[in-house]
Amino acid sequence: MFNMHNHKDLKRKLEDEMIDTKQVTEITERIAQLREKVLSSKPTVCTERARFYTEIFRDHEDEPVIIKRALALQKTLVKMTIFIDKGELIVGNQSSSHRAAPIFPEYAVDWLPEEMDELDKRPGDAFYITEEHKAELKEIASWWKGKVLWDRGRALMTQELRDLQDSAIIKATGNLTSGDAHIAVDFPKILEVGLQGYFEEIKLHHEAVDRSDREGIRKDKFYSALTIGLESFQTFIRRYRDLASYLSKESDDPQRINELKRIAENCDVIAEKPPQDFYQALQLVYFVQLILQIESNGHSVSLGRLDQYLYPFFQKDLAAGKLDEDLASELLENTWIKLLSVNKIRPWSHTRFSAGGPLYQNVTIGGQTTEGSDAVNELSFLVLDSVGKMKLTQPNLSVRFHKGISEEFMMASMKVIEKGFGMPSFNNDEIVIPELIKMGVERDDAYNYSAIGCIEIAVPGKWGYRCTGMSFLNLMRVFLATLHDGYDSQSGQTFRKGTGNFKDFSSYEELFKAWQQQIKYYTRKTVEIDTAVDTALEEHVPDILCSAFVDSCISRGKTIKEGGSKYDFISGLQVGIANLGNALAAIKKLVYEEKKIGREELLDALESNFEGREGERIRQLLLNFAPKYGNDDDYVDLLLKDAYMEFIKELENYHTTRHNRGPIGCKYYAGTSSISANVPSGAVVPATPDGRKAFTPVAEGSSPSSGTDLLGPTAVFKSVAKLPTNKIMGGVLLNQKLSPAAIEKEADKHKLISVLRTFFAELKGWHVQYNIVSRETLLAAKKDPEKYRDLVVRIAGYSAFFTTLSPDTQDDIIARTEHTLSH
Amino acid sequence: MIFNIQRYSTHDGDGIRTLIFFKGCPLRCQWCSNPESQSFGHSILYDSKLCKNFGDCALAEPSAISTNPGGGIEIKRNLIAEPEKLKEVCATRALTISGETKSVDVLMAEVQKDLPFYREDGGVTLSGGEPLAQGKELVLLLQQLKKQGTNTNIETSLHVKWEQVERCIGLVNTFLVDLKHTDPRKFKQFTHGTSGLVLDNLEKLAYFGAHVVVRIPVIPGFNHTEREIMQMVDYVSTIKGLKEIHFLPYHTYGVEKYKMLGMDYIFNNNTQVLEEELLPYVQYAQSQGFKAKIGG
Repeated sequence: MFNMHNHKDLKRKLEDEMIDTKQVTEITERIAQLREKVLSSKPTVCTERARFYTEIFRDHEDEPVIIKRALALQKTLVKMTIFIDKGELIVGNQSSSHRAAPIFPEYAVDWLPEEMDELDKRPGDAFYITEEHKAELKEIASWWKGKVLWDRGRALMTQELRDLQDSAIIKATGNLTSGDAHIAVDFPKILEVGLQGYFEEIKLHHEAVDRSDREGIRKDKFYSALTIGLESFQTFIRRYRDLASYLSKESDDPQRINELKRIAENCDVIAEKPPQDFYQALQLVYFVQLILQIESNGHSVSLGRLDQYLYPFFQKDLAAGKLDEDLASELLENTWIKLLSVNKIRPWSHTRFSAGGPLYQNVTIGGQTTEGSDAVNELSFLVLDSVGKMKLTQPNLSVRFHKGISEEFMMASMKVIEKGFGMPSFNNDEIVIPELIKMGVERDDAYNYSAIGCIEIAVPGKWGYRCTGMSFLNLMRVFLATLHDGYDSQSGQTFRKGTGNFKDFSSYEELFKAWQQQIKYYTRKTVEIDTAVDTALEEHVPDILCSAFVDSCISRGKTIKEGGSKYDFISGLQVGIANLGNALAAIKKLVYEEKKIGREELLDALESNFEGREGERIRQLLLNFAPKYGNDDDYVDLLLKDAYMEFIKELENYHTTRHNRGPIGCKYYAGTSSISANVPSGAVVPATPDGRKAFTPVAEGSSPSSGTDLLGPTAVFKSVAKLPTNKIMGGVLLNQKLSPAAIEKEADKHKLISVLRTFFAELKGWHVQYNIVSRETLLAAKKDPEKYRDLVVRIAGYSAFFTTLSPDTQDDIIARTEHTLSH
Repeated sequence: MIFNIQRYSTHDGDGIRTLIFFKGCPLRCQWCSNPESQSFGHSILYDSKLCKNFGDCALAEPSAISTNPGGGIEIKRNLIAEPEKLKEVCATRALTISGETKSVDVLMAEVQKDLPFYREDGGVTLSGGEPLAQGKELVLLLQQLKKQGTNTNIETSLHVKWEQVERCIGLVNTFLVDLKHTDPRKFKQFTHGTSGLVLDNLEKLAYFGAHVVVRIPVIPGFNHTEREIMQMVDYVSTIKGLKEIHFLPYHTYGVEKYKMLGMDYIFNNNTQVLEEELLPYVQYAQSQGFKAKIGG
């Protein structure tokens, strides 16, 4: 017994040392310089794309929209400024300079002239824009008036839906001001067949099109658009080949000349053929990633299971002596820096929901093979360590947990988590895979799922857009309306009347009945808004290349939005989960059971935002004498579950616009990976019966409300696991904050891993991520942002640079519970 | 009587543990960081920082509690006959009552909550106060834990009658025994007990083959010198069967609680001990053949 124990200790020690040596590898001078360059570039805007798209749309009004978009993409890829930075090994730029956001006028552009003079004064996510660009953008915006996605989507809605949107109870701004994305394309296929392979496939289908048929006419244009798009993509890659070649002739540094020649060779090969080695494969993956973000301004364009599809290249090169781990790591690091140089600008109304300017380009590692064995390989470690070395906000790194994952890989993950920039986060195979299979996903596909964007999941290359990220539903506004027979005090409107007033409810059951009716109504309205949005997106901004790279768009002759993808499941986001449970529990216990607070008394206190001595006393009772979600207390946890289930049950009645058009599924599920929406969502909610003051943030994702989880992480895990997690496939977001001291020691790391194993393997938890940063550091960074420019924090499903956040969001992060372990 | 149940404890025994804190301690060391654990009855804690002067407490106990004109309250604790009646009086929880009688069943239900997290090496640690000073329910609890296969540790000063220790042998996986000093004079000066009782019990416990980890709290002004620590380690070396020593650095996290209890913190050597200061002790213990570390 004693010996065994010793043996285990020794093994752990050896493993630790092994990982340590892996991690102490310094980053190269080259990488350090590239990193600093991107970090220090000020966000600006680039008008090139906007100009090209406007010219094409203006000059080709007769063409169907898909051809217009193909031609506009073509003009952009052929004419946009390209550059190769000093020292970079992976090439490709999204716009004319680092972190310059291109403009996508076809989605929404009115906001730009309105906000352009304020962009550099934003409290968070500021942009700097020249007077010259302002003038050009004003002109562009005036051409697009009435033609953009936003106008067209709004026009499809009834006045009631527009009112609901304007009231901020249901938000769909992001969906109507940008593209869809929230997708990972079929990288394994791209690497296998190369771009040329797609031409062959398209040609085959294009030739078979029956132009005497209505569908055939449409398909003919679709295939033409794909061909134009892919040819432009090739041209784009070849422009880099030529530039690298030219630069190699200009250079007098022999090492750089060789590097540039290699870049030119890479581009020459992958513009047409499948990549021949790891380096070329990675370059092609990056080009695809880039091009999708030039075509559309949707975010959460994800890379899928990179450690799996690049592994054969990695292995082959390693065996042939063409590659070593240092070079592979440098190439990966360079790629991560390139991902960060991609940028987007969004209206302030949407920016507040996604603070920190995230693009959520997710990379997923680990998990299982389709045979069910551990899929972690040497490349998984290398990806993990390289992301850890970069400490940037991109990519968003997710580790797929499963029962058989090794302690060694978990420990390596902990050591990256310890660095305190919120990565990696964990998704759980043990719940996701069986649930996907139940939903109708084929077994092998289910085993191949990856994280998308923040924490949501899909089968890469086979799934449509927005496995989450449809409309946001503000649950606490719905709850407050429930107390007032549907009257919404913020908009002054009554959307769903006739469910009764709280002051007349003599029992909790009556209140719950009113909730059932209210939430049923709002659930339907979120779907109606989503349907209008999806219809507008389908008709006005179809994606060409993104469709080409998703199974089975080519064989069906359809864009993803028309029903081209193999699977189609989507979800909106419900905000204020913990607040809903806590409000219900407080009312049930203090008003109905213990009668400590009267109904009128509570309503008065809420209306006055707990003003005065009596108001504050009621608030204290609500805070301190009612059970709170996050403490493993069935009383509140089950009330929350029941209330949320009302939404989920209603949602099951609806389907997406792709229903009966090809994909498997076409259903909705619930989702809580609500990015930083808890701050702006709270900012439009008056005081609530959980003791929360008016207009302060609501709880984030599925995490407990700030400062209310008092029993530590195991109790939080238990509470979260009581949610109907198998129905919340859009993501059960749990953010836990730990002080650095909590996992400083080796033994503490093992203990945290042990807790995670229980949460995932036994309680079937869905997701968790850690913010390891001390309160003092955050306070210091808020005060002195210059010194903490690279401080990255985990916000919701992603990481952001702390100093770029607005003071509100900064305060919210500081206020969240910090679990310090016992002493 | 219980004064706290702490889940996800990672520093009092192996693995993930639930800590059950029993109220009441005969020893009452001067540096005690859990002063609310000393009395066997209810304790009244008042945190002026949370007080919003609602005055509900003064209304409930007019003879014992009065509000100050400038804010805050005065409590005459000796005049409060039934403190538990004040339990739900204060909305802000500035005034709280520590101590709750819990049945074995209720405790077992609490323990079950984290059962899936205990895995191979975690479990339950009974702490205090002095858990061994509790009545027969303690044994019932240990029996039930053993029956369901939950690993149990007991944190104890061993300053109880031998019978109270003996009844737990065979029910407890590990005794975490606080060894504060081997010098009877010094022990007496800083606690309400005698070291002889502790040392006797420790020797007997080892003799009966119980698994014991010796924990030495390193307290400045009391035992934080190389000579004294070496003496203790050397003493432990003389007892057959003791293989492991943990050194616990003194901390001052409990000082605020004295104020809240209306108690004086008479131990005045309140400087935090850094972990590095304990390294020589660990090294010495290791040189004597012990498995040794800092912290629990």
